[in-house]
Amino acid sequence: MNTFIADLHDLDRLVEVARSRYSVYAPVRRGRGYVFSKIEGMSDTDLRYNRTILPPTKIFHRPKEVLLRFQLADGPEFGEVVEVEPMMIFGVHACDLNAILRLDRFFTRRFEDPYYLARRRGSVVVALNCNGPRDEYCFCASLGTGPTVYGGYDILLTEVRDRMFLVEAGSEIGANLIDEARFRRASMSDMEAKKAVASTAKREFRRYADFRSLSYPVIEVLAHTVWDEEADKCFSCGNCSLVCPTCYCYEIYDTLDMDLNSGFRVRRLDSCQLYGYAEVALGGNFRKSRKARLRHWMVCKFGGAAGGELSSCVGCGRCIFYCPARIDITSVASRLREAV
Amino acid sequence: MTNPYIPMKAEIVSIKTETRDIKTFRLKPLGGKLKFEAGQFVEVSVFGVGEAPISISSDPDVDDYFELSVRRVGSVTGALFKLSEGAIIGVRGPYGRGWPLKESEGMDVLIVGGGCGAAPLRPAILKLLRSRDRYGRIELLYGARTPSDVMYMEEFEAIAEGSGCRVLLTVDTIAPDNRWRYSVGVVTSLFDKISVNPFRSVALVCGPEIMMMYAVRDLLRLGFKPENIYLSMERRMRCGLGFCGHCQIGRKYVCLDGPVFSYSEIAPMPDKIV
Repeated sequence: MNTFIADLHDLDRLVEVARSRYSVYAPVRRGRGYVFSKIEGMSDTDLRYNRTILPPTKIFHRPKEVLLRFQLADGPEFGEVVEVEPMMIFGVHACDLNAILRLDRFFTRRFEDPYYLARRRGSVVVALNCNGPRDEYCFCASLGTGPTVYGGYDILLTEVRDRMFLVEAGSEIGANLIDEARFRRASMSDMEAKKAVASTAKREFRRYADFRSLSYPVIEVLAHTVWDEEADKCFSCGNCSLVCPTCYCYEIYDTLDMDLNSGFRVRRLDSCQLYGYAEVALGGNFRKSRKARLRHWMVCKFGGAAGGELSSCVGCGRCIFYCPARIDITSVASRLREAV
Repeated sequence: MTNPYIPMKAEIVSIKTETRDIKTFRLKPLGGKLKFEAGQFVEVSVFGVGEAPISISSDPDVDDYFELSVRRVGSVTGALFKLSEGAIIGVRGPYGRGWPLKESEGMDVLIVGGGCGAAPLRPAILKLLRSRDRYGRIELLYGARTPSDVMYMEEFEAIAEGSGCRVLLTVDTIAPDNRWRYSVGVVTSLFDKISVNPFRSVALVCGPEIMMMYAVRDLLRLGFKPENIYLSMERRMRCGLGFCGHCQIGRKYVCLDGPVFSYSEIAPMPDKIV
């Protein structure tokens, strides 16, 4: 059996082994929140974190990155810039892992995004099962995106007893790393304990969401008065997109150096909540109103993303927690559910 | 993996002024050919300024060069207008789904263009006329603001001369001393004069979205089926690859699912005029 048991010292060895090949990113306390940041050992991270401010998907799909470099003199001449750093992302919750898996599908849909894929394919994911909701904002259980992970990881951790983790390999790379870290084999009771954790974890969720049949183009959804009420509160700040693990929209622009010769083509995360997002030539704008923008964002999460192939909410709770107007996707959805 | 964000170089071989703010750039791809279908678009790079999505306006059966009829409306098109013959720009694509020409064989075809909306229609017109015997009646309605805003004027007049396609032109307004031999009024006012049979005809429509809204309304009233009215939609396609999200209309991506949509596909989606 490829199941092992590890305490924090053992996991330290795993991090040590991994650090010879990868930069290891894990949740690190910053002020009142957490961020995925480079760690040197387990003492830098806190595996009981609730959620990071930015999701781990944004390690692969960077908020800002250079796509290509160009120069104008005798040219133009241009070439790609793909920055790849082999990474281990350590301690990824089920919701965030599901977001990564959805972006994997999204970025290989009709075309392949070489920037996302280069980083993703060179990386290792150590997932971490949740023993219940991390706080009152979590609602993965009702969307089937957590709290337990069922695939898509290299290594999976489950805290089966106080600071004791069941360790499972999900890929050859994961198995090799575990091998090198020399963990003890798990006992039958450890494995039973994992099953118990998984079954109790699901039951403790108090927040609930059902997004079925709320996607485009259901008229009862699009014409509902809830959008007017919520748009009255919305600041169009774009926080929800910034923290959302499945928001992928971006802007592309050129920047020119001071020499007016060389420069970069850059992409930067954009948000459909911002006024300029749907602008076209000559000042046309197809989502001028906050209501239209808020509705577009939420209905995209309900299942309009990637042309309706993907429902894109994973229930991480970030957009609710970080909304300055207290707009809550789960309560909007329940209002809409009454109408469909 | 090839990087779809890397443009191909293309040389501007000639520039034709169509109207006061529209020019047609003939481009020769360097190191490759650009195979495209009528109605597809490319992302044009003017390095240091940025990229813009532009419809290809030339004959899809000619692959030594391709043409882009561009209206000067923003930073990239403005920069393009400052370039002269011999300049090198970047182009990637072609992207999107074009006009349903194959599917429309055996039917009448009504083409409705407004302003620079003639650009993506031109490849369709050239292609239809090349296989003229596969279609029923073909009619072209085109409207612009004033006579000096009419693009492809000589070409439209040459088509009207022969080749089995009726051409009806109109402008919104004329100056008192202007010699304009055609109609005055919005493009939809030409619908009274059409001779295609709405019940077995497709309509290919491109123009400002407000014009397309009126055109669709009148076409439906004439008896065109919603699934036979095709519209080329304009949105801000930043990537052309179905990723950046800017061109989404509801769950449709204009860059992948369009830019040509049947009215029945696009009608239920929000955040549009048409």
